Amino acid sequence: MKFISDKNLRKWLESLMGIGSLIAPMDLGPGLTLFSQIRDPGDVNLEYETTPIPPKDLFFPSSEALFRFSPSRGYEIPEIDGEAFLLGIRPCDALGIRLMDFPFLSEPADPRYERRRRRTTLIGLGCIKARPECFCTSFGIGPFDASNADAFLIPVKGGFLAEARTEKGAKALAAAELEEASIPIPKPPEVPSIDVGAVREVALSLFNSPYWERLADRCLSCKLCAYVCPSCYCFDIRDYPIRDGAERIRSWDSCQSPLFSRQASGYDPRQTKASRLRNRFYHKFSYFPGEFGAFGCTGCGRCVRYCPVNIDVREVLLAILRGEAKVA
Amino acid sequence: MEEIRAKAIELLRSGEVKCFIGYERASDGLTARPFFAYSADDAGRLIFDRTCAHNLARYLPDMRGQRVAILVKPCDSRSVNVLIQEGQVNREEVYVVGVVCDGVYKASWGQPSQELEARCLYCSRRVPVVYDHLIGQPPASEPQTPASIPEVEALERRSAKERWEFWRSHFARCIRCNACRQICPACYCPQCFSDQLDPLWTGIRIGLPQNWVWNVGRALHLAGRCADCGGCERACPMGIPLAALNRKLAGRVKELFGFEAGLDPRAPFPFATFKKEEVL
Repeated sequence: MKFISDKNLRKWLESLMGIGSLIAPMDLGPGLTLFSQIRDPGDVNLEYETTPIPPKDLFFPSSEALFRFSPSRGYEIPEIDGEAFLLGIRPCDALGIRLMDFPFLSEPADPRYERRRRRTTLIGLGCIKARPECFCTSFGIGPFDASNADAFLIPVKGGFLAEARTEKGAKALAAAELEEASIPIPKPPEVPSIDVGAVREVALSLFNSPYWERLADRCLSCKLCAYVCPSCYCFDIRDYPIRDGAERIRSWDSCQSPLFSRQASGYDPRQTKASRLRNRFYHKFSYFPGEFGAFGCTGCGRCVRYCPVNIDVREVLLAILRGEAKVA
Repeated sequence: MEEIRAKAIELLRSGEVKCFIGYERASDGLTARPFFAYSADDAGRLIFDRTCAHNLARYLPDMRGQRVAILVKPCDSRSVNVLIQEGQVNREEVYVVGVVCDGVYKASWGQPSQELEARCLYCSRRVPVVYDHLIGQPPASEPQTPASIPEVEALERRSAKERWEFWRSHFARCIRCNACRQICPACYCPQCFSDQLDPLWTGIRIGLPQNWVWNVGRALHLAGRCADCGGCERACPMGIPLAALNRKLAGRVKELFGFEAGLDPRAPFPFATFKKEEVL
């Protein structure tokens, strides 16, 4: 364990900005912090509580042109270049990126996602406080879990304990004035855990339960839960005309949208709010683990915190486990 | 609270309604969330206090064809009228339980507050405009409507360039999750203009020009129809001050046509009525 003092932090951030772009939590207004490109190291807020949007959009932007084509210029693929440092990513969000790797890096890998992943160093940040919606310990991680980051910082008095986990992380930390750590690692905060092990098995028998209808009564069928989720990765692709040609756009989409599963014939296999809502939970806790061997949730609690009508994934998991959702 | 539960039990037991749409405690143990009670047992979970901010009228079009009861505050009751006026809700199918309201708290999940929401500070109604049964003691007289809304006035005082900058910075953050649309009782179109392919209003691109068309387009569609329940602004994860837009437009409609949304379900629509003397 090394130590970076608060005093040396600014210098370190400046040297990182000299190497590549620095993306870190920044306050944009009262109660609103977002991962943003940093122009002044003084803007970095490493005491942030949470961001409505996880840093997944650094790898999987909410919207991007995959390529443009025109009779005069042929094909053009927007460049992705330079190095990037993602600073202050919490363990839950780092796990989110690890989960996004499954669909995006499985053969054939998504070239744009892959390039962004390769150029980025993840500098994680331990949580010294748990929020009421946190349940990350349910998914094999915790407030000080560094396993999905290249380097990891733990806030302590007067600075940060720092540890490199990969070569990339060591390179990023090499740009800092490090001291030998004299402060012991503090005790991480308690985070409640749900024993999710059995969810997959149990859920499969509840597909036709009236529970989903009742839960969906208050669901709005908006896409907020998916857009704030660090592991939701669905997108839509369409071509749009631009001057002298066209571009192929990829944008976020979500299974909660009434248009998501409608087919060209007009038939929609998921016509009801309940079937869409059920799909959200089944994808995360049944289909995704079946496909990739890991739950599609990081316990960050963003959907709990931001759902306008408080559909709480923890309540859903407990209802499944307790058999409340049993088919009568 | 007890009176609401008793009323719900009575309506559900007698079979007069299939479902009572009210509120229950949210999972943070502090705030409230919408709740659909189908039985007397369910009704025991109903609550009402100053954390009950949701406008439940949004759920009425979902329940068409069955008789339901709904709990409304004065602002929500105007949305019920708008839905009746626009033919989206059949008055005979809805049993309206009105509740006298002194305002709700500006709280979000897990973050309680004892501060009144901005809209409640200048609200001029304590009693719903439509109800079949009223809960609570109506005041001797309704409070005075303030001449203007501070946040709207503050924006009006800025130059056009500053206002452009203000909205640009907010709309740039919009992620088009549609929470504002989906929570809004006045947004019930089977096909939203933003989902239309032909003509293409916004498309799927999430970016400033498209977000601009989306947010301004929605605000224009709400002119003379918004009851100022503040649901869109509360739902927005990006903190976009959507209610200010709607309040500005509601003020213009009142100025130009002397019309306020949802006060009278039989009133003609300002935008669907031609009067020779109206000069814009």
